Amino acid sequence: MRSSFAIDIFIRVLLFAFIGVAWNLLGGYAKQLSLGHAAYFGLGAYTSTILLIRFGVSPWIGILAGGVVAMLASLPIGALCFRLRGPYFAISTIAVAQVLMLLFLKFRDFAWGAEGTTLPNLGNSPWMMQFSAKAGYYYIALAMLALGLAVTYLIERSWMGYYLVAVGEDESAAEAIGVNAPRIKRNIYMISAFLTAMAGTFYIQYIYFIDPNTAFSFNVSVEAALVSIVGGIGTLWGPVVGAVLLEPTSALLQSWLGSSHGGVQVTVYAVILITVILWRPTGLLGVLTDAYERIVNAFPARTREAPLDG
Amino acid sequence: MAEALVVRNLSKRFGGLRAVADLSFSVKEGETLALIGPNGAGKSTSFNLITGYHRPDAGSVFAFGRELVGLPPYDICALGLARTFQVGRPFGTMTVLANVMTGALLRNKKLHVARARAREALEFVGLAARENTKAHDLTTIDERRLELARALATEPRLLLLDEVMAGLNPSEMDQAVGLVGQLSKRGLSIVIVEHVMRAITAVAHHIVVLDHGQQIAEGTPNDVLQNEEVIRAYLGTGYAHHTTSPDAQC
Repeated sequence: MRSSFAIDIFIRVLLFAFIGVAWNLLGGYAKQLSLGHAAYFGLGAYTSTILLIRFGVSPWIGILAGGVVAMLASLPIGALCFRLRGPYFAISTIAVAQVLMLLFLKFRDFAWGAEGTTLPNLGNSPWMMQFSAKAGYYYIALAMLALGLAVTYLIERSWMGYYLVAVGEDESAAEAIGVNAPRIKRNIYMISAFLTAMAGTFYIQYIYFIDPNTAFSFNVSVEAALVSIVGGIGTLWGPVVGAVLLEPTSALLQSWLGSSHGGVQVTVYAVILITVILWRPTGLLGVLTDAYERIVNAFPARTREAPLDG
Repeated sequence: MAEALVVRNLSKRFGGLRAVADLSFSVKEGETLALIGPNGAGKSTSFNLITGYHRPDAGSVFAFGRELVGLPPYDICALGLARTFQVGRPFGTMTVLANVMTGALLRNKKLHVARARAREALEFVGLAARENTKAHDLTTIDERRLELARALATEPRLLLLDEVMAGLNPSEMDQAVGLVGQLSKRGLSIVIVEHVMRAITAVAHHIVVLDHGQQIAEGTPNDVLQNEEVIRAYLGTGYAHHTTSPDAQC
């Protein structure tokens, strides 16, 4: 029982690190702060589940099909939302995810509406992405995270990485030196959506249940952004660091305080987040890099501008 | 000589304000043209109209025989027009080298090619020693150098410089004038917006004077600086008697 709880936390860490990595491509490198990645999580989840239950298609195919659906959906959604900048962009992405949730609440015949559905229990059948032991899910989550990190690594070290950061820093200045900002934003949004949809399929296979509130949960959108922001936005390992810190904290707070003092765990969680963000806006990875640089550059000590608070 | 840039009857209003009215001028290949005039005369707006940041209400812009109106800034840059901004706009979290590489990637997507190209540009502007500095740690003059290097890395045929010399001390300005002169010798066509008359007379082959969005004079530096209307609108009546003054500026 105890180890099952631990491995569940491990899986959640890996899953949210992966979602964070997917989010970070768009939100971290290109600084397009999406708060609607649940849209793609949900589309991935529903695509593979509908394929599985209605057509008997293996979720291994479903996970790719969900990715493609999310990628295609990101085109019109991006065309709409990228017209807006900054907080307006963020708000519009929230709205899109909410609209999708409402649509799936209405799809009663095809997608089980508000009641949702449980997935057929096929016992231990790896070909259908179902495992009797949690270790199976653990390895899938680990593999997905590895994939996400590999994609990020390759992008970061190619011309695309330079273009994304340039767009994130100053879109107009980037366009002046030939960066096709609309196109690069569209492309990175497609990649980000594909990966996020994979996480959606995996999650539903893991919990054996789907309904619109789970699949399009605002929590997913928020966690995707938070693990990146807390860990270190626009860095390869930032979302991983963030997920390692936040997911166990959230799960442990839930199990310690959730039953006895309902709601308290959310408050404590929020206080931790606010502290981290106020204390170090560059994220925890920023703290570590700064510390490293300080040690390396200890002699001679670098003079920095004194902070306002002395 | 062929025309690098032809601007015809360009007009732009912002609400009730007539920012640019019926502006026409052309730049021959290899020529340096200075756009001068008091603040608010429409110089920067003209740049924004030419480089695709604003859409003109009327008129046309041709560069190397192609119509630019309606094209987005990145396509205009790809055609060989590079601009700098009046206020330096470095990508602050990137290193100096990465900033310039981003420009160089326009012509070649391989990082090692872009890196070599970027180093050449940094060498040219005299910023090679600072290539690993984060751009937001640069001084104002180095920020200007970076802005120029980043534009040059896109391998332009026509360079639009928006007040690159503002705020420089006399020796820095001599360096900047020298750089612009070298670029011109390499065959680059240049349009330069500047307030510093000493710099303008040193680099410009041709001057266009704007006031209230309209062209009030055009010609060689000597002709324009003797022009009564230019003196009244921009240089100030004292200027005619102090044409040798090195620091006359608005």
